[in-house]
Amino acid sequence: MSFAWWAVGIAALCLFLVAYYPTVSKTPALTQFMEEAPEWVKAFVGESAEDYTSPAGFLNGELFFMMAPMLFIIFTVSRGSAAVAGEEGKGTLDLLLANPIPRWRVVLEKAAAMAVSSICLGAVLWSALAAGAAAFGMDIGLGNLAAACLSCLLLGLFFGALALALGSLTGRRGQAVGIAAAFAVATFFLYSLSEVVRGLKPWSRLSPFYYYLAAEPLKRGLNGIHTLVLLASALALTALSAYLFERRDILV
Amino acid sequence: MEKVAILTRGLTKYYGRNRGVEDLDLRVERGEVFGFLGPNGAGKTTTIRLLLDLIRPTRGKAEVLGMDARVRGVEIRKRLGYLPGDLALYDNLTGEELLRYLAGLRGGADWGYVRYLAERLQCDLTLRIKSLSRGNKQKIGIVQAFMHRPELLIMDEPTNGLDPLMQHEFHRLVRETSEAGATFFISSHNLPEVERMCDRVGIIREGRLVAVDEVEALKRKALRRLEIHFASPVPPGDFAAIPGVKDLRVEDRTLTCSLTGSVDALIKAAARFEVLNVVSPEVGLEEIFMHYYREGSGGEGGGADA
Ligand SMILES: Nc1ncnc2c1ncn2[C@@H]1O[C@H](COP(=O)(O)OP(=O)(O)OP(=O)(O)O)[C@@H](O)[C@H]1O
Ligand SMILES: [Mg+2]
Repeated sequence: MSFAWWAVGIAALCLFLVAYYPTVSKTPALTQFMEEAPEWVKAFVGESAEDYTSPAGFLNGELFFMMAPMLFIIFTVSRGSAAVAGEEGKGTLDLLLANPIPRWRVVLEKAAAMAVSSICLGAVLWSALAAGAAAFGMDIGLGNLAAACLSCLLLGLFFGALALALGSLTGRRGQAVGIAAAFAVATFFLYSLSEVVRGLKPWSRLSPFYYYLAAEPLKRGLNGIHTLVLLASALALTALSAYLFERRDILV
Repeated sequence: MEKVAILTRGLTKYYGRNRGVEDLDLRVERGEVFGFLGPNGAGKTTTIRLLLDLIRPTRGKAEVLGMDARVRGVEIRKRLGYLPGDLALYDNLTGEELLRYLAGLRGGADWGYVRYLAERLQCDLTLRIKSLSRGNKQKIGIVQAFMHRPELLIMDEPTNGLDPLMQHEFHRLVRETSEAGATFFISSHNLPEVERMCDRVGIIREGRLVAVDEVEALKRKALRRLEIHFASPVPPGDFAAIPGVKDLRVEDRTLTCSLTGSVDALIKAAARFEVLNVVSPEVGLEEIFMHYYREGSGGEGGGADA
Protein backbone atom coordinates (compact mmCIF):
# COMPACT_ATOMS: atom_id res chain seq x y z
CA MET A 1 0.00 0.00 0.00
CA SER A 2 2.59 2.53 1.03
CA PHE A 3 4.64 1.40 -1.95
CA ALA A 4 2.04 2.97 -4.23
CA TRP A 5 2.56 6.33 -2.53
CA TRP A 6 6.30 6.04 -2.91
CA ALA A 7 5.90 5.25 -6.60
CA VAL A 8 3.55 8.17 -7.17
CA GLY A 9 5.85 10.52 -5.27
CA ILE A 10 8.98 9.52 -7.13
CA ALA A 11 7.26 9.61 -10.52
CA ALA A 12 5.85 13.05 -9.79
CA LEU A 13 9.23 14.35 -8.64
CA CYS A 14 10.91 13.06 -11.82
CA LEU A 15 8.30 14.52 -14.14
CA PHE A 16 8.42 17.85 -12.34
CA LEU A 17 12.21 18.01 -12.61
CA VAL A 18 12.30 17.07 -16.27
CA ALA A 19 9.54 19.52 -17.12
CA TYR A 20 11.64 22.21 -15.48
CA TYR A 21 14.70 21.31 -17.56
CA PRO A 22 13.88 23.29 -20.77
CA THR A 23 13.90 26.50 -18.73
CA VAL A 24 17.29 25.65 -17.23
CA SER A 25 18.91 24.68 -20.51
CA LYS A 26 18.01 28.06 -22.00
CA THR A 27 19.78 29.87 -19.19
CA PRO A 28 23.52 29.51 -19.90
CA ALA A 29 24.21 32.09 -17.23
CA LEU A 30 23.56 29.31 -14.74
CA THR A 31 26.49 27.33 -16.05
CA GLN A 32 28.67 30.35 -15.76
CA PHE A 33 27.43 30.96 -12.24
CA MET A 34 28.23 27.42 -11.28
CA GLU A 35 31.68 27.63 -12.83
CA GLU A 36 32.47 30.63 -10.71
CA ALA A 37 31.06 29.18 -7.56
CA PRO A 38 33.54 28.24 -4.81
CA GLU A 39 34.76 24.68 -4.65
CA TRP A 40 32.74 23.72 -1.60
CA VAL A 41 29.50 24.78 -3.29
CA LYS A 42 30.37 22.55 -6.22
CA ALA A 43 31.06 19.72 -3.85
CA PHE A 44 27.49 19.85 -2.67
CA VAL A 45 25.98 19.98 -6.11
CA GLY A 46 28.14 17.13 -7.25
CA GLU A 47 30.34 16.38 -10.20
CA SER A 48 27.99 18.11 -12.52
CA ALA A 49 28.69 21.65 -11.42
CA GLU A 50 30.57 22.48 -14.58
CA ASP A 51 27.90 21.48 -17.04
CA TYR A 52 24.78 22.11 -15.07
CA THR A 53 22.75 22.80 -18.19
CA SER A 54 23.46 19.53 -20.02
CA PRO A 55 20.79 16.83 -19.47
CA ALA A 56 23.12 14.56 -17.57
CA GLY A 57 24.57 17.42 -15.57
CA PHE A 58 21.14 18.69 -14.69
CA LEU A 59 19.84 15.30 -13.58
CA ASN A 60 23.00 14.58 -11.63
CA GLY A 61 22.85 17.85 -9.77
CA GLU A 62 19.14 17.96 -9.14
CA LEU A 63 18.33 14.31 -8.67
CA PHE A 64 21.05 11.69 -8.60
CA PHE A 65 23.55 13.44 -6.40
CA MET A 66 21.39 13.74 -3.36
CA MET A 67 17.62 13.56 -3.81
CA ALA A 68 17.29 10.11 -5.40
CA PRO A 69 19.77 8.32 -3.10
CA MET A 70 18.23 9.97 -0.10
CA LEU A 71 14.74 8.80 -1.07
CA PHE A 72 15.94 5.30 -1.87
CA ILE A 73 17.85 5.05 1.38
CA ILE A 74 14.85 6.21 3.40
CA PHE A 75 12.74 3.61 1.62
CA THR A 76 15.13 0.69 2.05
CA VAL A 77 16.21 1.53 5.59
CA SER A 78 12.59 1.74 6.66
CA ARG A 79 11.87 -1.65 5.05
CA GLY A 80 15.09 -3.25 6.20
CA SER A 81 14.60 -2.20 9.79
CA ALA A 82 10.92 -3.18 9.76
CA ALA A 83 11.70 -6.68 8.48
CA VAL A 84 13.04 -8.14 11.70
CA ALA A 85 13.33 -5.44 14.35
CA GLY A 86 10.03 -3.81 13.41
CA GLU A 87 8.10 -7.04 13.79
CA GLU A 88 9.99 -7.82 16.94
CA GLY A 89 9.01 -4.48 18.43
CA LYS A 90 5.37 -5.04 17.57
CA GLY A 91 5.59 -8.50 19.08
CA THR A 92 4.41 -10.40 16.03
CA LEU A 93 7.68 -12.25 15.64
CA ASP A 94 6.68 -14.83 18.27
CA LEU A 95 3.73 -15.78 16.13
CA LEU A 96 5.72 -15.87 12.91
CA LEU A 97 8.61 -17.91 14.31
CA ALA A 98 6.25 -20.49 15.81
CA ASN A 99 5.80 -21.74 12.27
CA PRO A 100 8.02 -24.46 10.86
CA ILE A 101 10.36 -22.03 9.13
CA PRO A 102 14.00 -21.60 10.07
CA ARG A 103 14.93 -18.13 11.18
CA TRP A 104 17.49 -17.63 8.44
CA ARG A 105 14.79 -18.22 5.86
CA VAL A 106 12.56 -15.60 7.45
CA VAL A 107 15.41 -13.11 7.13
CA LEU A 108 16.24 -14.05 3.54
CA GLU A 109 12.64 -13.94 2.41
CA LYS A 110 12.13 -10.57 4.01
CA ALA A 111 15.33 -9.32 2.40
CA ALA A 112 14.11 -10.60 -0.95
CA ALA A 113 10.80 -8.79 -0.46
CA MET A 114 12.70 -5.59 0.30
CA ALA A 115 14.84 -6.06 -2.80
CA VAL A 116 11.86 -6.69 -5.05
CA SER A 117 10.00 -3.58 -3.88
CA SER A 118 13.18 -1.52 -4.27
CA ILE A 119 13.70 -2.84 -7.78
CA CYS A 120 10.14 -1.85 -8.60
CA LEU A 121 10.82 1.61 -7.23
CA GLY A 122 13.97 1.76 -9.37
CA ALA A 123 11.87 0.81 -12.39
CA VAL A 124 9.45 3.60 -11.54
CA LEU A 125 12.33 6.06 -11.34
CA TRP A 126 13.68 5.00 -14.69
CA SER A 127 10.31 4.95 -16.49
CA ALA A 128 9.26 8.33 -15.14
CA LEU A 129 12.54 9.89 -16.24
CA ALA A 130 12.43 8.18 -19.63
CA ALA A 131 8.82 9.23 -20.19
CA GLY A 132 9.58 12.77 -19.04
CA ALA A 133 12.65 12.99 -21.25
CA ALA A 134 10.59 11.95 -24.26
CA ALA A 135 7.76 14.33 -23.44
CA PHE A 136 9.91 17.40 -22.78
CA GLY A 137 12.60 16.73 -25.34
CA MET A 138 15.46 16.05 -22.95
CA ASP A 139 18.28 14.33 -24.78
CA ILE A 140 19.52 11.56 -22.52
CA GLY A 141 20.52 7.97 -23.27
CA LEU A 142 18.09 5.46 -21.82
CA GLY A 143 20.92 3.01 -21.18
CA ASN A 144 22.86 5.49 -19.09
CA LEU A 145 19.68 6.47 -17.33
CA ALA A 146 19.17 2.83 -16.44
CA ALA A 147 22.77 2.61 -15.22
CA ALA A 148 22.21 5.55 -12.89
CA CYS A 149 18.91 4.20 -11.61
CA LEU A 150 20.43 0.78 -11.01
CA SER A 151 23.40 2.27 -9.15
CA CYS A 152 21.06 4.32 -7.00
CA LEU A 153 18.96 1.24 -6.32
CA LEU A 154 22.03 -0.76 -5.29
CA LEU A 155 23.17 2.02 -2.98
CA GLY A 156 19.72 1.90 -1.39
CA LEU A 157 19.90 -1.87 -1.05
CA PHE A 158 23.27 -1.59 0.66
CA PHE A 159 21.84 0.66 3.36
CA GLY A 160 18.65 -1.40 3.55
CA ALA A 161 20.77 -4.50 4.16
CA LEU A 162 22.75 -2.59 6.77
CA ALA A 163 19.53 -1.68 8.59
CA LEU A 164 18.40 -5.29 8.31
CA ALA A 165 21.67 -6.51 9.82
CA LEU A 166 21.50 -4.00 12.67
CA GLY A 167 17.89 -4.98 13.35
CA SER A 168 18.81 -8.65 13.24
CA LEU A 169 21.58 -8.04 15.72
CA THR A 170 19.76 -5.87 18.24
CA GLY A 171 16.05 -6.37 17.59
CA ARG A 172 15.52 -2.65 18.07
CA ARG A 173 14.18 -0.77 15.10
CA GLY A 174 14.95 2.72 16.36
CA GLN A 175 18.59 1.80 16.81
CA ALA A 176 18.80 0.17 13.40
CA VAL A 177 17.33 3.21 11.64
CA GLY A 178 19.43 5.65 13.65
CA ILE A 179 22.74 3.94 13.05
CA ALA A 180 22.06 3.22 9.37
CA ALA A 181 20.95 6.82 8.77
CA ALA A 182 23.93 8.26 10.63
CA PHE A 183 26.23 6.03 8.61
CA ALA A 184 24.57 7.20 5.37
CA VAL A 185 24.95 10.86 6.24
CA ALA A 186 28.55 10.42 7.38
CA THR A 187 29.60 8.49 4.30
CA PHE A 188 27.78 10.94 2.04
CA PHE A 189 29.82 13.80 3.49
CA LEU A 190 32.98 11.73 3.36
CA TYR A 191 32.49 11.23 -0.36
CA SER A 192 31.29 14.70 -1.28
CA LEU A 193 33.91 16.49 0.81
CA SER A 194 36.67 14.28 -0.52
CA GLU A 195 36.14 16.10 -3.82
CA VAL A 196 37.41 19.32 -2.27
CA VAL A 197 39.35 18.37 0.84
CA ARG A 198 42.60 16.82 -0.39
CA GLY A 199 43.28 14.91 2.79
CA LEU A 200 40.03 13.00 2.50
CA LYS A 201 40.63 11.75 -1.02
CA PRO A 202 42.23 8.42 -0.07
CA TRP A 203 39.37 7.69 2.31
CA SER A 204 36.58 8.27 -0.18
CA ARG A 205 36.69 4.64 -1.24
CA LEU A 206 35.35 3.69 2.15
CA SER A 207 32.12 5.44 1.30
CA PRO A 208 29.34 3.51 -0.45
CA PHE A 209 28.56 6.77 -2.26
CA TYR A 210 31.90 6.48 -4.02
CA TYR A 211 30.80 3.25 -5.68
CA TYR A 212 27.50 4.83 -6.56
CA LEU A 213 28.70 8.11 -8.10
CA ALA A 214 32.45 8.20 -8.69
CA ALA A 215 32.23 6.37 -12.03
CA GLU A 216 29.48 8.73 -13.24
CA PRO A 217 26.99 6.11 -14.41
CA LEU A 218 24.68 8.73 -15.91
CA LYS A 219 27.44 9.89 -18.27
CA ARG A 220 29.50 6.75 -18.79
CA GLY A 221 27.21 3.86 -18.09
CA LEU A 222 27.68 1.11 -15.54
CA ASN A 223 31.06 0.52 -13.96
CA GLY A 224 31.34 -3.21 -13.44
CA ILE A 225 33.58 -3.16 -10.42
CA HIS A 226 31.75 -0.42 -8.56
CA THR A 227 28.42 -2.10 -9.22
CA LEU A 228 29.81 -5.37 -7.99
CA VAL A 229 31.17 -3.81 -4.80
CA LEU A 230 27.73 -2.45 -3.88
CA LEU A 231 25.94 -5.65 -4.81
CA ALA A 232 28.39 -7.92 -3.02
CA SER A 233 28.39 -5.88 0.17
CA ALA A 234 24.58 -5.76 0.22
CA LEU A 235 24.51 -9.54 -0.17
CA ALA A 236 27.17 -10.00 2.49
CA LEU A 237 25.20 -7.86 4.94
CA THR A 238 22.08 -9.89 4.19
CA ALA A 239 23.90 -13.14 4.87
CA LEU A 240 25.29 -11.63 8.06
CA SER A 241 21.74 -10.69 9.10
CA ALA A 242 20.60 -14.28 8.78
CA TYR A 243 23.59 -15.46 10.79
CA LEU A 244 23.10 -12.91 13.56
CA PHE A 245 19.37 -13.52 13.81
CA GLU A 246 19.86 -17.27 14.21
CA ARG A 247 21.97 -16.78 17.27
CA ARG A 248 20.06 -14.59 19.62
CA ASP A 249 17.01 -14.33 21.88
CA ILE A 250 13.83 -12.84 20.48
CA LEU A 251 12.83 -9.88 22.60
CA VAL A 252 9.34 -9.74 24.03
CA MET B 1 6.07 -42.55 18.67
CA GLU B 2 7.83 -40.95 21.64
CA LYS B 3 6.02 -41.17 24.95
CA VAL B 4 7.22 -37.91 26.38
CA ALA B 5 5.91 -34.66 24.95
CA ILE B 6 8.13 -32.27 26.88
CA LEU B 7 11.26 -33.04 28.83
CA THR B 8 13.61 -30.50 30.34
CA ARG B 9 16.78 -31.14 32.29
CA GLY B 10 18.31 -28.44 34.42
CA LEU B 11 16.79 -25.85 32.13
CA THR B 12 18.06 -22.46 33.24
CA LYS B 13 17.68 -19.01 31.78
CA TYR B 14 19.16 -15.78 33.03
CA TYR B 15 18.43 -12.45 31.41
CA GLY B 16 21.74 -10.84 32.12
CA ARG B 17 21.72 -11.01 35.90
CA ASN B 18 17.93 -11.35 36.10
CA ARG B 19 16.61 -14.74 36.95
CA GLY B 20 14.25 -16.23 34.36
CA VAL B 21 14.02 -19.90 35.40
CA GLU B 22 16.45 -22.10 37.27
CA ASP B 23 17.17 -25.81 37.05
CA LEU B 24 13.81 -26.74 35.67
CA ASP B 25 13.21 -30.49 35.41
CA LEU B 26 9.90 -30.98 33.76
CA ARG B 27 8.27 -33.98 32.19
CA VAL B 28 4.99 -33.90 30.33
CA GLU B 29 3.61 -37.17 29.00
CA ARG B 30 1.87 -37.40 25.68
CA GLY B 31 -1.88 -37.09 25.84
CA GLU B 32 -2.07 -35.25 29.12
CA VAL B 33 -3.24 -31.74 29.84
CA PHE B 34 -0.49 -30.19 31.89
CA GLY B 35 -1.15 -26.98 33.79
CA PHE B 36 1.77 -24.70 34.52
CA LEU B 37 0.76 -22.59 37.44
CA GLY B 38 2.64 -19.64 38.87
CA PRO B 39 2.29 -16.03 39.97
CA ASN B 40 3.49 -13.03 37.93
CA GLY B 41 7.15 -13.17 37.13
CA ALA B 42 7.50 -16.81 38.15
CA GLY B 43 9.00 -17.85 34.81
CA LYS B 44 6.09 -19.37 32.88
CA THR B 45 6.58 -17.32 29.75
CA THR B 46 10.33 -17.83 29.96
CA THR B 47 9.90 -21.61 30.07
CA ILE B 48 7.48 -21.60 27.17
CA ARG B 49 9.66 -19.40 24.99
CA LEU B 50 12.60 -21.69 25.74
CA LEU B 51 10.55 -24.66 24.51
CA LEU B 52 9.76 -22.75 21.31
CA ASP B 53 13.46 -21.91 20.82
CA LEU B 54 12.55 -18.21 20.78
CA ILE B 55 15.09 -17.69 23.54
CA ARG B 56 18.14 -19.80 24.33
CA PRO B 57 18.91 -21.42 27.67
CA THR B 58 21.82 -20.29 29.80
CA ARG B 59 22.29 -23.97 30.55
CA GLY B 60 20.31 -27.15 30.52
CA LYS B 61 18.36 -28.83 27.78
CA ALA B 62 14.82 -29.00 26.51
CA GLU B 63 13.32 -31.78 24.42
CA VAL B 64 9.99 -31.41 22.71
CA LEU B 65 8.36 -34.46 21.12
CA GLY B 66 11.63 -36.29 21.62
CA MET B 67 13.70 -33.73 19.73
CA ASP B 68 16.23 -31.21 21.00
CA ALA B 69 14.53 -27.82 20.96
CA ARG B 70 17.75 -26.06 19.94
CA VAL B 71 18.57 -28.37 17.06
CA ARG B 72 15.35 -29.58 15.46
CA GLY B 73 13.11 -26.58 15.97
CA VAL B 74 11.61 -26.68 12.50
CA GLU B 75 10.49 -30.30 12.83
CA ILE B 76 9.13 -29.62 16.30
CA ARG B 77 7.18 -26.57 15.21
CA LYS B 78 5.60 -28.53 12.38
CA ARG B 79 3.76 -30.58 15.00
CA LEU B 80 3.18 -27.79 17.46
CA GLY B 81 0.54 -25.15 18.09
CA TYR B 82 1.59 -22.08 20.04
CA LEU B 83 -0.29 -19.24 21.64
CA PRO B 84 2.06 -16.47 22.81
CA GLY B 85 1.45 -14.83 26.16
CA ASP B 86 1.81 -11.31 24.84
CA LEU B 87 -0.23 -11.98 21.76
CA ALA B 88 0.36 -9.51 18.94
CA LEU B 89 -1.29 -10.03 15.57
CA TYR B 90 -0.92 -8.25 12.25
CA ASP B 91 -3.37 -5.46 12.92
CA ASN B 92 -4.04 -4.51 9.32
CA LEU B 93 -5.36 -7.92 8.34
CA THR B 94 -8.76 -9.39 8.98
CA GLY B 95 -8.98 -12.52 11.09
CA GLU B 96 -9.46 -14.65 8.01
CA GLU B 97 -6.54 -13.07 6.15
CA LEU B 98 -4.27 -13.63 9.12
CA LEU B 99 -5.31 -17.25 9.54
CA ARG B 100 -4.88 -17.92 5.81
CA TYR B 101 -1.44 -16.35 5.92
CA LEU B 102 -0.38 -18.47 8.89
CA ALA B 103 -1.94 -21.60 7.43
CA GLY B 104 -0.03 -20.91 4.22
CA LEU B 105 3.24 -20.92 6.15
CA ARG B 106 2.37 -24.42 7.33
CA GLY B 107 1.31 -25.70 3.96
CA GLY B 108 -2.41 -25.24 4.55
CA ALA B 109 -5.06 -26.02 7.14
CA ASP B 110 -8.48 -27.64 7.09
CA TRP B 111 -10.66 -24.59 6.54
CA GLY B 112 -13.81 -26.32 7.67
CA TYR B 113 -12.15 -26.90 11.03
CA VAL B 114 -11.07 -23.25 11.21
CA ARG B 115 -14.66 -22.15 10.67
CA TYR B 116 -15.83 -24.64 13.29
CA LEU B 117 -13.35 -23.28 15.84
CA ALA B 118 -14.23 -19.67 15.05
CA GLU B 119 -17.90 -20.47 15.43
CA ARG B 120 -17.41 -22.20 18.75
CA LEU B 121 -15.52 -19.28 20.14
CA GLN B 122 -17.94 -16.84 18.52
CA CYS B 123 -15.18 -15.07 16.74
CA ASP B 124 -15.88 -12.93 13.68
CA LEU B 125 -13.12 -13.48 11.13
CA THR B 126 -14.29 -10.80 8.70
CA LEU B 127 -13.29 -7.85 10.90
CA ARG B 128 -9.96 -6.05 10.83
CA ILE B 129 -7.91 -7.19 13.78
CA LYS B 130 -7.16 -3.65 14.92
CA SER B 131 -10.89 -3.08 15.40
CA LEU B 132 -11.26 -6.11 17.68
CA SER B 133 -11.49 -6.07 21.46
CA ARG B 134 -8.76 -7.76 23.48
CA GLY B 135 -10.81 -10.88 24.10
CA ASN B 136 -11.73 -11.21 20.45
CA LYS B 137 -8.10 -10.92 19.43
CA GLN B 138 -7.30 -13.66 21.92
CA LYS B 139 -9.87 -15.89 20.24
CA ILE B 140 -8.08 -15.52 16.93
CA GLY B 141 -4.87 -16.45 18.68
CA ILE B 142 -6.55 -19.57 20.02
CA VAL B 143 -7.96 -20.56 16.63
CA GLN B 144 -4.51 -20.06 15.17
CA ALA B 145 -2.98 -22.48 17.67
CA PHE B 146 -5.58 -25.18 17.08
CA MET B 147 -6.21 -24.89 13.36
CA HIS B 148 -3.64 -27.31 11.98
CA ARG B 149 -4.57 -29.98 14.52
CA PRO B 150 -1.15 -30.09 16.18
CA GLU B 151 -0.09 -32.99 18.40
CA LEU B 152 1.12 -30.62 21.08
CA LEU B 153 -0.34 -27.27 22.05
CA ILE B 154 1.72 -24.89 24.14
CA MET B 155 -0.42 -22.03 25.35
CA ASP B 156 0.65 -19.11 27.51
CA GLU B 157 -2.28 -17.88 29.59
CA PRO B 158 -4.82 -18.73 26.91
CA THR B 159 -7.90 -17.48 28.75
CA ASN B 160 -6.39 -14.04 29.18
CA GLY B 161 -9.08 -11.53 28.24
CA LEU B 162 -11.85 -14.08 27.67
CA ASP B 163 -15.14 -13.62 29.48
CA PRO B 164 -16.21 -16.43 31.86
CA LEU B 165 -18.53 -17.99 29.30
CA MET B 166 -15.76 -18.15 26.72
CA GLN B 167 -13.31 -19.43 29.29
CA HIS B 168 -15.61 -22.37 29.88
CA GLU B 169 -16.01 -22.94 26.16
CA PHE B 170 -12.24 -22.94 25.91
CA HIS B 171 -11.92 -25.47 28.75
CA ARG B 172 -14.34 -27.75 26.92
CA LEU B 173 -12.42 -27.34 23.69
CA VAL B 174 -9.21 -28.33 25.48
CA ARG B 175 -10.83 -31.40 27.06
CA GLU B 176 -12.30 -32.54 23.75
CA THR B 177 -9.09 -32.00 21.82
CA SER B 178 -7.19 -33.83 24.50
CA GLU B 179 -9.58 -36.77 24.29
CA ALA B 180 -8.82 -36.85 20.57
CA GLY B 181 -5.19 -37.40 21.48
CA ALA B 182 -3.52 -33.99 21.69
CA THR B 183 -1.16 -32.96 24.49
CA PHE B 184 -1.48 -29.58 26.19
CA PHE B 185 0.96 -27.45 28.10
CA ILE B 186 -0.98 -24.51 29.48
CA SER B 187 0.28 -21.76 31.73
CA SER B 188 -2.06 -19.96 34.05
CA HIS B 189 -2.26 -18.13 37.33
CA ASN B 190 -5.75 -19.24 38.00
CA LEU B 191 -6.07 -22.34 40.16
CA PRO B 192 -9.79 -23.05 39.59
CA GLU B 193 -9.21 -22.92 35.84
CA VAL B 194 -6.33 -25.35 36.06
CA GLU B 195 -8.38 -27.64 38.27
CA ARG B 196 -11.15 -27.67 35.70
CA MET B 197 -9.01 -28.26 32.67
CA CYS B 198 -5.86 -30.14 33.59
CA ASP B 199 -4.77 -33.65 34.54
CA ARG B 200 -1.55 -32.61 36.20
CA VAL B 201 -0.14 -29.35 37.48
CA GLY B 202 3.36 -28.02 37.83
CA ILE B 203 3.75 -25.14 40.23
CA ILE B 204 6.49 -22.66 39.52
CA ARG B 205 7.58 -19.98 41.88
CA GLU B 206 10.48 -17.55 41.59
CA GLY B 207 11.90 -19.48 38.68
CA ARG B 208 11.84 -22.88 40.34
CA LEU B 209 9.48 -25.76 40.02
CA VAL B 210 8.19 -26.28 43.54
CA ALA B 211 5.71 -29.08 42.96
CA VAL B 212 4.23 -31.35 40.35
CA ASP B 213 1.05 -33.12 41.21
CA GLU B 214 -2.14 -34.68 39.93
CA VAL B 215 -4.99 -32.21 39.89
CA GLU B 216 -7.01 -34.56 42.09
CA ALA B 217 -4.29 -34.55 44.72
CA LEU B 218 -3.96 -30.80 44.45
CA LYS B 219 -7.65 -30.39 45.07
CA ARG B 220 -7.32 -32.45 48.20
CA LYS B 221 -4.43 -30.43 49.49
CA ALA B 222 -5.25 -27.02 48.13
CA LEU B 223 -6.11 -24.16 50.36
CA ARG B 224 -9.64 -22.82 50.13
CA ARG B 225 -11.16 -19.85 51.81
CA LEU B 226 -14.72 -20.02 53.02
CA GLU B 227 -17.10 -17.41 54.29
CA ILE B 228 -20.44 -18.43 55.79
CA HIS B 229 -23.13 -15.93 56.62
CA PHE B 230 -25.68 -16.98 59.23
CA ALA B 231 -29.07 -15.61 60.14
CA SER B 232 -28.09 -15.27 63.79
CA PRO B 233 -24.79 -15.30 65.79
CA VAL B 234 -23.11 -18.71 66.10
CA PRO B 235 -20.78 -20.06 68.81
CA PRO B 236 -17.17 -20.32 67.49
CA GLY B 237 -16.47 -23.39 69.57
CA ASP B 238 -18.59 -25.59 67.32
CA PHE B 239 -16.22 -25.02 64.38
CA ALA B 240 -12.76 -24.81 65.91
CA ALA B 241 -12.30 -28.57 66.18
CA ILE B 242 -13.16 -29.45 62.58
CA PRO B 243 -10.16 -31.06 60.82
CA GLY B 244 -8.54 -28.93 58.10
CA VAL B 245 -9.97 -25.68 59.36
CA LYS B 246 -7.50 -22.88 60.06
CA ASP B 247 -7.51 -19.15 60.70
CA LEU B 248 -11.02 -19.45 62.03
CA ARG B 249 -12.78 -16.21 62.85
CA VAL B 250 -16.36 -15.85 63.92
CA GLU B 251 -17.57 -12.30 64.11
CA ASP B 252 -21.15 -11.85 64.96
CA ARG B 253 -23.01 -13.67 62.21
CA THR B 254 -20.14 -14.27 59.81
CA LEU B 255 -17.64 -17.10 59.88
CA THR B 256 -14.43 -16.97 57.88
CA CYS B 257 -11.77 -19.63 57.70
CA SER B 258 -9.16 -21.31 55.54
CA LEU B 259 -9.60 -24.91 54.73
CA THR B 260 -7.74 -27.81 53.23
CA GLY B 261 -9.29 -31.03 52.12
CA SER B 262 -12.97 -31.81 52.29
CA VAL B 263 -15.51 -29.12 53.16
CA ASP B 264 -17.98 -31.80 54.24
CA ALA B 265 -17.53 -31.58 58.03
CA LEU B 266 -17.64 -27.82 58.01
CA ILE B 267 -20.80 -27.65 55.91
CA LYS B 268 -22.49 -30.21 58.12
CA ALA B 269 -21.56 -28.24 61.23
CA ALA B 270 -22.87 -25.07 59.65
CA ALA B 271 -26.09 -26.71 58.56
CA ARG B 272 -27.23 -26.88 62.15
CA PHE B 273 -27.79 -23.13 61.98
CA GLU B 274 -29.73 -21.10 59.48
CA VAL B 275 -27.30 -20.34 56.65
CA LEU B 276 -27.92 -17.27 54.49
CA ASN B 277 -25.00 -17.53 52.14
CA VAL B 278 -21.79 -19.43 51.47
CA VAL B 279 -19.00 -17.59 49.66
CA SER B 280 -15.64 -18.92 48.60
CA PRO B 281 -13.39 -15.92 47.89
CA GLU B 282 -10.55 -16.73 45.53
CA VAL B 283 -7.31 -17.37 47.35
CA GLY B 284 -4.27 -15.53 46.10
CA LEU B 285 -1.84 -17.77 44.27
CA GLU B 286 1.06 -16.67 46.38
CA GLU B 287 -0.81 -17.85 49.43
CA ILE B 288 -1.56 -21.20 47.87
CA PHE B 289 2.10 -21.65 47.04
CA MET B 290 3.24 -20.64 50.48
CA HIS B 291 0.80 -23.15 51.85
CA TYR B 292 1.86 -25.81 49.41
CA TYR B 293 5.47 -25.08 50.13
CA ARG B 294 5.06 -25.31 53.90
CA GLU B 295 3.21 -28.56 53.65
CA GLY B 296 6.09 -29.93 51.58
CA SER B 297 3.56 -31.84 49.62
CA GLY B 298 5.17 -31.59 46.18
CA GLY B 299 7.84 -33.82 44.77
CA GLU B 300 6.19 -37.05 43.70
CA GLY B 301 4.16 -37.37 40.56
CA GLY B 302 6.92 -37.30 37.94
CA GLY B 303 8.24 -33.80 38.54
CA ALA B 304 11.80 -34.28 39.67
CA ASP B 305 12.87 -37.28 37.69
CA ALA B 306 15.96 -35.97 35.94
N1 LIG C 1 13.55 -9.84 28.50
C1 LIG C 1 13.74 -9.87 29.82
N2 LIG C 1 14.76 -9.19 30.37
C2 LIG C 1 14.99 -9.24 31.69
N3 LIG C 1 14.27 -9.95 32.56
C3 LIG C 1 13.24 -10.65 32.07
C4 LIG C 1 12.92 -10.66 30.70
N4 LIG C 1 11.85 -11.44 30.51
C5 LIG C 1 11.52 -11.92 31.72
N5 LIG C 1 12.34 -11.44 32.66
C6 LIG C 1 12.31 -11.76 34.10
O1 LIG C 1 12.21 -13.16 34.24
C7 LIG C 1 11.30 -13.52 35.25
C8 LIG C 1 10.26 -14.47 34.71
O2 LIG C 1 9.45 -13.80 33.79
P1 LIG C 1 8.29 -14.50 32.97
O3 LIG C 1 7.81 -13.54 31.96
O4 LIG C 1 8.76 -15.82 32.49
O5 LIG C 1 7.19 -14.69 34.10
P2 LIG C 1 5.70 -15.25 33.95
O6 LIG C 1 5.60 -16.41 34.87
O7 LIG C 1 5.36 -15.47 32.54
O8 LIG C 1 4.87 -14.04 34.55
P3 LIG C 1 3.40 -13.51 34.14
O9 LIG C 1 2.41 -14.31 34.88
O10 LIG C 1 3.42 -12.09 34.63
O11 LIG C 1 3.26 -13.59 32.66
C9 LIG C 1 10.72 -12.22 35.75
O12 LIG C 1 11.33 -11.91 36.99
C10 LIG C 1 11.08 -11.20 34.74
O13 LIG C 1 11.34 -9.96 35.35
MG1 LIG D 1 3.91 -14.66 31.23
